[in-house]
Amino acid sequence: MSSRPARVLVVGGHPVILGVVRLACDALAGVEIVAEAGDGSAAVAASSSLTPELAVVDLDLPGNDGLDVLRSLRDQGFRGRVVVVSERADGATVLGAMRLGVDAYLLKPDGLRRIGDAIRRVLDGERAIDPALEQAAVLELGRFARQSRETSGVDSSLTRREREILELLAEGLTMQQIGRRLDISPRTVETHVANLYRKLAVRSRVQAVSRAASLGLIELR
Amino acid sequence: MAPTTSMSRRPSPEAASSPAIRRKLGVVLIDPLPVVRAGLSLLVDGRPDMEILAEAGDGREGVDALARVRRSRVVVLVGLGLEGEHDASWLIRTVRERFPSHAVLAMGANADPTMVSRALFVGADGYVDKNIDPLDFLGAIIKVADREMVLQGPVAAAVGQIADSIELRRDLGVRLTGREREVLAVAAEGLTARQIATRLGVRERTVTTHLGRIYGKLGVGNRLSAIRMAARSGMVSVGFPE
Repeated sequence: MSSRPARVLVVGGHPVILGVVRLACDALAGVEIVAEAGDGSAAVAASSSLTPELAVVDLDLPGNDGLDVLRSLRDQGFRGRVVVVSERADGATVLGAMRLGVDAYLLKPDGLRRIGDAIRRVLDGERAIDPALEQAAVLELGRFARQSRETSGVDSSLTRREREILELLAEGLTMQQIGRRLDISPRTVETHVANLYRKLAVRSRVQAVSRAASLGLIELR
Repeated sequence: MAPTTSMSRRPSPEAASSPAIRRKLGVVLIDPLPVVRAGLSLLVDGRPDMEILAEAGDGREGVDALARVRRSRVVVLVGLGLEGEHDASWLIRTVRERFPSHAVLAMGANADPTMVSRALFVGADGYVDKNIDPLDFLGAIIKVADREMVLQGPVAAAVGQIADSIELRRDLGVRLTGREREVLAVAAEGLTARQIATRLGVRERTVTTHLGRIYGKLGVGNRLSAIRMAARSGMVSVGFPE
């Protein structure tokens, strides 16, 4: 179609994957591999100097999280299309990939057989994501929406004082110590803590801290 | 918290697979467009295993209708075209609070990812586009009755974008105080600081202080960028609903 071949960047460490992608691209007319990168920094360097139109990214890079590599590509300004290959079929990974604008998601090892077809379709502007994987991402989206709602529900119900006390509880301070730190009576601290437990729907300090952390209200150091 | 009486939870797998004693799945339909309600009623009542329990054309009526439904677990279809004070978001939130065992399926016509993210964030169990195949629509009702997340229609390709919006909404919610969110929502209507002050019954100075703090927390330099971010998160709606 176009006079100039489509430039493809391959990000992967495994020789078999690289071999499969090379074979697939050789078999396609008008597609050229311009770089092969084994890690994130090589991928970013290749992307900025060669401006590929498409990246094939192996999410299971040795010693690297493929999603992190893809994220740094996007952060650096890569706007091209993306085909990922991965062993992971869990909703969190698939949704994570979709949030980074992945056009095709192929599951290893079987999906590798369709990589040539996927590259061609994606270059034609189509998407190639298996319905089962898409469904996994949708279920994960539901979980994520629910959790986000809970977080902001609990968050907006907490007073500034309760928030402060929550942070101190997470640091491991006792009620007495919290009282001294905030210059309030231990009785007042107890009342605040009781309210906190109620709002977080928990019964103990450990539960309160772990629930608040899981909701993203505090960060555990 | 709304009191949850001892309602029967999700039926056990054995009960679900024995067809003899299975009750029809109850559906409550709330959409502003009579034609949509008429069409969906026909569709749902045409199924031997489903029935329409009630219909309403606005959010307030919808809640009243739900209060009269004496069932613990129904599917509530909510049209995103509901507007005004008791709009779709209000309705979904209210159903979540007052009838937590019901499932909520939002429906729209070519809704954009932000609208869908808003519906999911306030508590919908799924979204279907009214343009999809009728059989798929019925399939979505059945799935959502089991509290399985459903996303059907063109917007299904935008799962990633929807997740981004939800995350942004959550982060804005956590970063901003209730008052700051209020100020931002009013600012999104295009009011000046003085007009915002009048609306909220505070001094203009207070509003500009709030706005300054909001910009700082959101890491933006001006009002337009702050509003744009809030709009992208679905926290405020700018422009016209569907």
